[in-house]
Amino acid sequence: MTVSEEAFEQFRAGVGMLSEMAPPATERTDEERVRIFKNTVIKKIMPHEAMDLETCVHCGMCAEACHYYVATEDPKYTPIRKLELTRRVYQREVSPNRWLRRLLTRDITAQELEAWQELVYDSCTECGRCSLICPMGIHIAEMVALTREGLANASLAVDEQRAMSHEQGQRGTMFGMGSDSLVQAAQVLKQKGIDVPLDQPQAEILVVTSVIEMTLFTDALEGTAKIMNKLGCSWTVSTCGYEAANFGYMAGYSGYHRAAAMRVIEAAIAVGAKTVIIPECGHSYPALRWDGAAAYGKPLPFEVVAISEFIGREIKAGNLKVNKIPAAGKVTYHDPCKLGRVGGVFDEPREALQALGVDLSEVSPNRAQSYCCGGGAGNFLIRRAAPLRAKVWELKRGQFEDAGADRVVTSCASCRINFMAGAADTHWEKPIESLVALVGANLAD
Amino acid sequence: MSLLDFARGTALQWSLYIFVVGIIWRILGAALVMRRKDMSQARISGAERVKEGAMTILTRSVPPETFEKRIRFSHITGYLWHIGYFVVVLFFIPHILFIKSFLGFEWPGLPNPMILVIGAITLATLVALLVRRMTHPVLKLISTADDYISWLVAALPLITGYMVVARVGLHYETLLGLHVLSFCLLLIWFPFGKLMHVFFIFPSRYNVGAIFARRGVRV
Repeated sequence: MTVSEEAFEQFRAGVGMLSEMAPPATERTDEERVRIFKNTVIKKIMPHEAMDLETCVHCGMCAEACHYYVATEDPKYTPIRKLELTRRVYQREVSPNRWLRRLLTRDITAQELEAWQELVYDSCTECGRCSLICPMGIHIAEMVALTREGLANASLAVDEQRAMSHEQGQRGTMFGMGSDSLVQAAQVLKQKGIDVPLDQPQAEILVVTSVIEMTLFTDALEGTAKIMNKLGCSWTVSTCGYEAANFGYMAGYSGYHRAAAMRVIEAAIAVGAKTVIIPECGHSYPALRWDGAAAYGKPLPFEVVAISEFIGREIKAGNLKVNKIPAAGKVTYHDPCKLGRVGGVFDEPREALQALGVDLSEVSPNRAQSYCCGGGAGNFLIRRAAPLRAKVWELKRGQFEDAGADRVVTSCASCRINFMAGAADTHWEKPIESLVALVGANLAD
Repeated sequence: MSLLDFARGTALQWSLYIFVVGIIWRILGAALVMRRKDMSQARISGAERVKEGAMTILTRSVPPETFEKRIRFSHITGYLWHIGYFVVVLFFIPHILFIKSFLGFEWPGLPNPMILVIGAITLATLVALLVRRMTHPVLKLISTADDYISWLVAALPLITGYMVVARVGLHYETLLGLHVLSFCLLLIWFPFGKLMHVFFIFPSRYNVGAIFARRGVRV
C-alpha cells in the first residue's frame, strides 16, 4: 500500500505551517544567549569530545563526506565548521591551554550563535558520515548534538523544532493530536479486522508508534499490527506511552528528551514488557535505544529493538513466514542513518527483503557509508531548508537510478517523507515504500 | 657564548622541558573533563569494544574506498610530508650523530643525497599544502592561526636545514645555530598547537571506533 498523493500534500502543507505556529522563543539578551551557550558546552562536553576538539588538524576531509557539501560544494557546510563555536568555547574556557587560546581565539558572539542555527539545524542531520572519513577519528555528529543543545538552551532552536518540542514536552501531543488519535487509528484498523490491543495490563512487548504512522503512514502501523498478531505475541500499545518520536532529543532540549523517553519507559515498566519495539522513525531509535538509559538514570530494564530489526530477526528464526512478491522488480534498500550507521541495523531489513524474494539491488555507497536522505534529525520540518533537501534528493535519486531500482524501500518515516517529497517535486514515479508495510502486506497464511 | 652554543645548550634544554611538561599537561587536561557513563545495552562486549577501538587506530590510516577518490590529494600529500619529515629527522646522518651525543647510541642513516631529495619533496609538499590551505574554499574557511603557525614551525627546520647544507648567506655556525633554534621553536610550540594530534590521534581514533562498535558498526 502506498500513501495517497493528496494525503501526502496535506501533510506537507501542515508541516509548512509549523514555523508560524511556533510559540515565541523566550526573550533573551545577547549576553544571556552567549552565557547560556557557553555554560552548556562547559557543563556537557565529554572527555572524548574534548580530545576530538584538541585533535582536529583542519584538513577539511569531512566536507567530502557530507551530503550537503557534496550536493552544493558550498564550504560553509563543512562538518567541522559546524562545531566552530563549540570549539572556540572549549578552547577559551575548558582547554588546558585556555590562557594561550584566549589570545589566539576570538570569543563567540550572539550574532554568530544566530548564524549557526542554520548550520546545525538546517544543514546537519547528525548522520555521522563525516565521522567515518576523519583521519583523526573525530565524532563530529555527536558534538553537533551538543551545539544544538547549547542553541536550544539559548532560545535559538529553529522555530519548527521548537514548536514540536514544546508541544510534545509540555502538552504531550504532536500536531495537536494525542492519545485519542491513537484510539481512532486502532478503531480504523479494527474495522479492517486488524486488532491493536491497547492498554493491556501485562504484555511481553510494548509497541510504540508515532503521530506520522497514525495519520500519514498508516500502512506502517497496519503492517506492524498484522505482524505482531501473526506472531501471536503478547503485545500492547499504551495510551500513556505510545509516541516514539522525541523532538526534544532532536532539537537539543534535554528536559523534553527525558520527559518523552520517560513516558515510554514508564509505560513499558507498567506492563512488565521485556521488549520495546520502535516504529519506522529514525531518530526515535537512538533516543531510546542508545540514550534512553541516560534519561532513565540507569540501564533500561527491557530490550529496545527497531521494528525492522525485529522483523528480520523473526524471519531469520523461522517464526515469521512471508510470501514472495511476484514481479517485484529491482528493489533498493535505503539505510536510514539512525538505524544503520549510528544504530547497527543493516542485515535484518535485508533479511526481510530477501525473504520477500525481491531482486535486491544495492545503491553505492550503502550500509555504513550510505548517504543520508537529507532530511533527518528534524530537518524535514524546516521550511527554509527545502531547497537544500532538494539538492540532496538529486544525489539520492542518481544513486537509485544507478542501482536500476524499480522501487525504493526504507524503514524510517523521515527518509520516506524526504524521498516522497523529492519524487513528487521532480515527477519521479518510482514507489517509495515502508519495509514493515511491505512485510505486513505479504504475510504467509 | 655563541648562538650555536646557546641553541644546543640552554635553548634546547628548556625547549625539551616545555615540550615534555606541555604534552603531559595538555593530555591530562583534556582527559580529565567530566566523565559520564554510557548505560545503554551494548551490542558487543567490553573486550570486543576495546579490540574494535584498537583496530580503528590502524584502519583509519586508510580511508574507506567510497571516500578515497574525493580525498586523494589530501591523503597522498598527508602521507608524503609526514613520512618525508620522519625520514629526514631520523635518518640524516648529522641528526643521528647529534642524537647520539645525548642518548649514546646510533642507528644507520641514509646517504646525504637521498636525504636532500626526500627533504626537497617534503618541503615542496608542505608548500603545496600551504597554497592549498590558502586557496581551497573549504580550507580557507576552516583554517585558524594555529594552522599557519604550526605550518611555519614545522617548515622552518626544513628550510634552515637546507640553508645549513647550502651555506646560504651567513656563517656556517650561525646557520647551524638557527637550525637548532628552529627545532627548539618546534618543540616549544608543539604542546600548544595542532601538532599535538601526534598524540591525540590515538585516543581519538580509538574512541570513535569503540563508540560505533558499541552500536555494532565497524568504522
